[in-house]
Amino acid sequence: MSGLFDRLQNEIEGREKEDGISPLDLAELSAPLRKIIRLMLREVELSFDRLWEALSGTEDGEQMSKDELGKMLETLAKQGWLISRGEKDRASYKVNLRRKPGSSLAQGIWSALDDKIEKREKADPKADGDE
Amino acid sequence: MSNIISIHSYRGGTGKSNTTANLAVIIAQSGKRVGVVDTDIQSPGINALFGLEQSELKHSLNDYLWGLCSISEAAYDVTENLIEKIEGKIFLIPSSLNAGEIARVLREGYDVGLLDSGFQELVSDLELDALLIDTHPGLNEETLLSIAISDNVVLILRPDQQDYLGTSVTVEVARKLDVANLMLVVNKIPDVFPMDEVKEKVESTYNTEVAALMPHADEMMILGSNGIFVLEFPDHPVTDALKQLADRLVEE
Repeated sequence: MSGLFDRLQNEIEGREKEDGISPLDLAELSAPLRKIIRLMLREVELSFDRLWEALSGTEDGEQMSKDELGKMLETLAKQGWLISRGEKDRASYKVNLRRKPGSSLAQGIWSALDDKIEKREKADPKADGDE
Repeated sequence: MSNIISIHSYRGGTGKSNTTANLAVIIAQSGKRVGVVDTDIQSPGINALFGLEQSELKHSLNDYLWGLCSISEAAYDVTENLIEKIEGKIFLIPSSLNAGEIARVLREGYDVGLLDSGFQELVSDLELDALLIDTHPGLNEETLLSIAISDNVVLILRPDQQDYLGTSVTVEVARKLDVANLMLVVNKIPDVFPMDEVKEKVESTYNTEVAALMPHADEMMILGSNGIFVLEFPDHPVTDALKQLADRLVEE
């Protein structure tokens, strides 16, 4: 196994399993992982072959075999960061972006705001630009 | 492949939306098809520049994020709203200005994955040559996502100490995300500031190219987002700076 592969596997497995990755996490990833995630974000869904092609010729691509890339993608999928479809060379992957959480403001604030908006809309339905 | 361009600033009031709208018009003037997405869901407003009223919106980006429509159904061809006929097309995807809908996004959050796939759907469905993303100031999910997927990132700042500090944070993040082309734009520069000195100071501070220097313009204030500056003032120095910037973005 190459050093890069081991390092990336450790990085992925060292993180807690989560229901997706947030764009806020991207900057914290190591450069090779970030590259893979960015490529997939740009293409939305990427086949294994297309990813391998994109990585080939780069420094990271040269340090990793096809098998190692496959294992790494599998680990990323198990981690919840990628969604995979199909198997092995025919597999395609997309980034599983975590939902942006709602505000942590106390619920009372939102219901007070909703009440205020509702009252205003009842008084003047066009006030807020509603059709 | 379409050119994805994100326009950011660390702080509000730097002229992001105005710059985005004007760049869209300049790029479309050369016959290109340009999409503009207002991802400033919390404080939207770019629709005003294109003369699109909230009452005209059947759907918005918010509806797409809630699964109520496709993203193309939330796209409005605003080319005809411009005061001058242009060769290309501009499609605006506005965020809702409805207070209740803004509150809902803040309260419930949304699926960021939909935003990413929505950008790519727009490029493909509307056959866009360029997609401009207008963002909320500061660093959040939308900002980081758009930086990560963009070919070009334009970072706007004013000659202001608070802007300088915040911009360094954003430059650092953009570098970490390996942005292909990061450009700085210094906007609202007072007449008394020598442009060369401002350029030198900013470039040496961030070790990043300043792609445009835009002087403070009373005409911009008077226009008050009620139109597209480059069409209203075609011979103004700000228009020249915006055209230079657009050329750089298209050539990259």
